[in-house]
Amino acid sequence: MSSVLLEVDSVDKHFGGLHAVKQVSMQIRRGEIVGILGPNGAGKTTLFNMLTNFIPPDNGRVIFNGQSLQGVKPHKIVTLGIARTFQLCRPFVGLSVLENVLVGSLGPRVRHDGLGDRAMQLLKQVGLEAKAHTPSELLSYGDLRRLEIARALAAEPELLLLDEPFAGLGSSEIEAISSLIRQLHAEKQLTILLIEHKLREFMQLVSRVIALDFGEVIAEGSPAEIVAHPKVIEAYIGKQTEMAVHHAA
Amino acid sequence: MNGFQQIDKLSGVAGAAALVVLAVAPLVFPGNYLIGVLTVAAIYGIWAVSWDFMSGLTGRENFGHSLFIGVGAYVAGVVNVQMELGPWWSLPASMLLAVAFALLLGFPTLRLKGPYFALAMLSAAVIMQRLMLIFWEYTGGEEGIQDIAPLIRNNLHYYWFVLVVLAATTFILSWMARSRWGLILRAIRGDEATCLAAGIPITTYKIVSLVISAAFAGLGGALYAHYQLQVSPQLFAVVTSVTIITMVYVGGMGTIYGPVGGALLLTLLTEGLRNFGEWRLMIYSLLLIFILFFLPNGFIAPLWKRVRSGWGDRA
Repeated sequence: MSSVLLEVDSVDKHFGGLHAVKQVSMQIRRGEIVGILGPNGAGKTTLFNMLTNFIPPDNGRVIFNGQSLQGVKPHKIVTLGIARTFQLCRPFVGLSVLENVLVGSLGPRVRHDGLGDRAMQLLKQVGLEAKAHTPSELLSYGDLRRLEIARALAAEPELLLLDEPFAGLGSSEIEAISSLIRQLHAEKQLTILLIEHKLREFMQLVSRVIALDFGEVIAEGSPAEIVAHPKVIEAYIGKQTEMAVHHAA
Repeated sequence: MNGFQQIDKLSGVAGAAALVVLAVAPLVFPGNYLIGVLTVAAIYGIWAVSWDFMSGLTGRENFGHSLFIGVGAYVAGVVNVQMELGPWWSLPASMLLAVAFALLLGFPTLRLKGPYFALAMLSAAVIMQRLMLIFWEYTGGEEGIQDIAPLIRNNLHYYWFVLVVLAATTFILSWMARSRWGLILRAIRGDEATCLAAGIPITTYKIVSLVISAAFAGLGGALYAHYQLQVSPQLFAVVTSVTIITMVYVGGMGTIYGPVGGALLLTLLTEGLRNFGEWRLMIYSLLLIFILFFLPNGFIAPLWKRVRSGWGDRA
């Protein structure tokens, strides 16, 4: 078993005249927590959508567990072991919290006995067991994030893709979700890839950061290296000269 | 606990009680008029539950349900009058052909997003109605097909038979709606992208649920043909579909048993208001507006949920 779980080999995506993702390559090793950092519009979500074939890449390959994802239908991706959450929480409106998690486990990857008990177990892990029978549309935003994570985990993935798990959350909720992710990583030997556009939120969380800007990988390294990387500073704060202009104005 | 909804005992008992009341009603108030009204109400019930199974659960509103009903009824006519087969053949034949139409229409239309599925099905039903006139040599044109043989000669016995079919349909579809299948259909209503992320092939589920819905609608169509003893292109009319959808809304969408109540209530109401002469349509419409405006979740199902939880508290 190779130590590389996910290999992205120069994927490319155009939307009309917009070159959203340019020749992006990366390798994710088993058991890593990797953060993809980039300002809004850097192509992070498009990259995620290509990893799950919600949007097929124009060029390049994605290889998961030694298998190419080319031509694999989006609903089969989770069967291979990749589960994702969405940037905007998308619960199944009209279903209870427990039912939401159950649906996550109905794919062919998971054994179909004791589903209810396992769904309850997951709700306990993410701290939602008391709300199991609440309609999902009544949850707070922080609880919806927990629900999204529980639903994704119900598919028993090897790789968990989290699309901006901290978006729209207050600082105490961010800390709580952060420690939940750390705990899940430790308990389940999960490999986790997460997107974030704010540096601070995941400095403590990830072992490695890949920074994107304008659809390109601009830097890669430990969180400490990334914070100090000139290109990252440029992408986030702007060039020295631009700053000067700003101040003058 | 397996996490899936169960049909609770109380609802089972209530359903059985309702069935007994409906079966006994014509014995208490004898007369062919009541039997006729109840037979039509029960057939509308079959159509309403079959609509609710697909559209109520997945939220994909089918405005062309009359197509499957009409196909079922015409198959009964063709099989019985033109092919001169025994009347019982029409039941399996009409289900089969309705399924064929569901497959034919489901593959292209169920990939459509937004209101386009509803519009495509609506158009398909309108086209079918025209086709019945264009191919008048086979379908009898405006006249339709006359002299269809009854399945059961005795009116009361036929009513009981329709009632049994309604009960079986409701039971089967309720059971399915509460299974893993139903959960997935309701999840599709919630969010299709999340369903894909959860590994659910949504188009397959939607097509199969349309097929199941069509099979029962076609069966109801055949039962209707063997009650009226004739079929006409009017059965394909949009108003048939809209009436059924109204019944489902009044009953409570996505609850399966609710639409049966909605169908019975609205059919009986239509008949009951006959005494009001020309006021009838106005009263009927006002009642509908009232229900749809003030009770957006319907009338029957929310009422039953309230009664049930009341009993649950006392028990």
